[in-house]
Amino acid sequence: MTGLKNFYINKKHKGWLKLLIGTIIFIIVVFILGLLTTSIKNYFYAFSAPIQKTFWFAGGSSSKFLGSFFRVGSIVNENENLQRQNQDLLSQVAFLQSIEEANRAQSDVSTSCQNSEFNLMMAGVIGLDEGDILSINKGSTDGIAEGMPVVNQQNILFGKVLKVYKNFSKIMLISSKDSVINIKVQQQVPADNTDSVPEIDGVVKGGGGLSAYLDLIPVSDNINSQDVLITSAIEKSFPKDLLVGKITKIDKDDQKPFQQAQIDLFFNVKTTDNLFVITNYKQAN
Amino acid sequence: MWKKILSIIFLFYLFALLQSSFFSHFDLFGAVPNLVFILFFIVVFFEEKTNNYFIIVSAIMAGIFLDISSYTIIGPSIILLTVIGLLLKKFQLLLKNTGDSHPFVYFLPLFAVSFLIYNFSKELYLYFVDSSRIAVHFGFPEIFLLIYNALVASILFFVYRKFINYTSNGKDL
Repeated sequence: MTGLKNFYINKKHKGWLKLLIGTIIFIIVVFILGLLTTSIKNYFYAFSAPIQKTFWFAGGSSSKFLGSFFRVGSIVNENENLQRQNQDLLSQVAFLQSIEEANRAQSDVSTSCQNSEFNLMMAGVIGLDEGDILSINKGSTDGIAEGMPVVNQQNILFGKVLKVYKNFSKIMLISSKDSVINIKVQQQVPADNTDSVPEIDGVVKGGGGLSAYLDLIPVSDNINSQDVLITSAIEKSFPKDLLVGKITKIDKDDQKPFQQAQIDLFFNVKTTDNLFVITNYKQAN
Repeated sequence: MWKKILSIIFLFYLFALLQSSFFSHFDLFGAVPNLVFILFFIVVFFEEKTNNYFIIVSAIMAGIFLDISSYTIIGPSIILLTVIGLLLKKFQLLLKNTGDSHPFVYFLPLFAVSFLIYNFSKELYLYFVDSSRIAVHFGFPEIFLLIYNALVASILFFVYRKFINYTSNGKDL
């Protein structure tokens, strides 16, 4: 009877011992994987980048093809809006042509200064992960570092480099919920208005899911739908005057000190294949 | 057994690639299906016995691919999936047996709870560990994400069940 009891206790201890050893091995495995994170991620992307790029293109083409069936109604509306906007723009163009002549020389100089000021590194988009994090196929060996701004060829701001690995990097898009940037509202001025327009500063906060919203605009400031948002001179992480988005719907409540607005970001990740990393922008902080 | 593990690893790899590239173009209000998590959950759900080794191996592989896609170190998803996988199996043993050994009425609530636990725990982890995180994000978009993922998981549930029935009628994988 005693022998049987001992046998039972030993068996029970054996079970606990197995569990303990198993847990220790598991913790060691997780710890080693954690230490090797950079290498594993780098090998994974180096090996998978061509396949991932193919899937990225295939997804883009399929989504465009399928989307055209579902978005017939919205395309008609979009076309009407574009025609209306085009007419407005034509009238503004006529007015601005006279001013343009005077400003051309100065703007040419500042444009060339801006272009020569920044070194741009082209990188291919290879994937979009949860939390609005984009993967690009350039890394530390190409001179990419954390915090560098990322734009496209039209100077539309995408975000900044969040993590850098040897051969690829992760970009935090400005639509990420952890993104907050200082912006300036460029108001749409009627063609016949010659008064100077006061500058309005605010912030664009990421809303997740490739969306963002405008916040911290004093309720006394007058903003309008279709006003364009550009990066402000007080923004530390990005150069000024990069295109961010435009206002679509204003949420104004006189009881609150600040007004918010829904915005359409200018970037379109799904149709973007290549981006540019500004490699020599000196961050103020 | 090895054949099964290798097949699952290949599927995790394929789903991880599809998730971050192909399916990024098919978002609904910004929500994208977490295919790796869905596959892990379905594999564990349909695992007949309390085969803890298989659950842990699956959790390690799925966790590696999930953490590669994120910008954290490799590890948090492995631990979370292991805990979720083992708890799921224990919980399944407590549920009342019906005629169907893997009923859909059990699958959907268990999936929803597990998905919420995984996402919320990862948010908490990122908030406390990652300096770029400024807040814990958990609200309406996450609920929508759950609904979208539950929809995709439901489709894959029936596909996997058909596949299981097909292989059990023939030879075991």
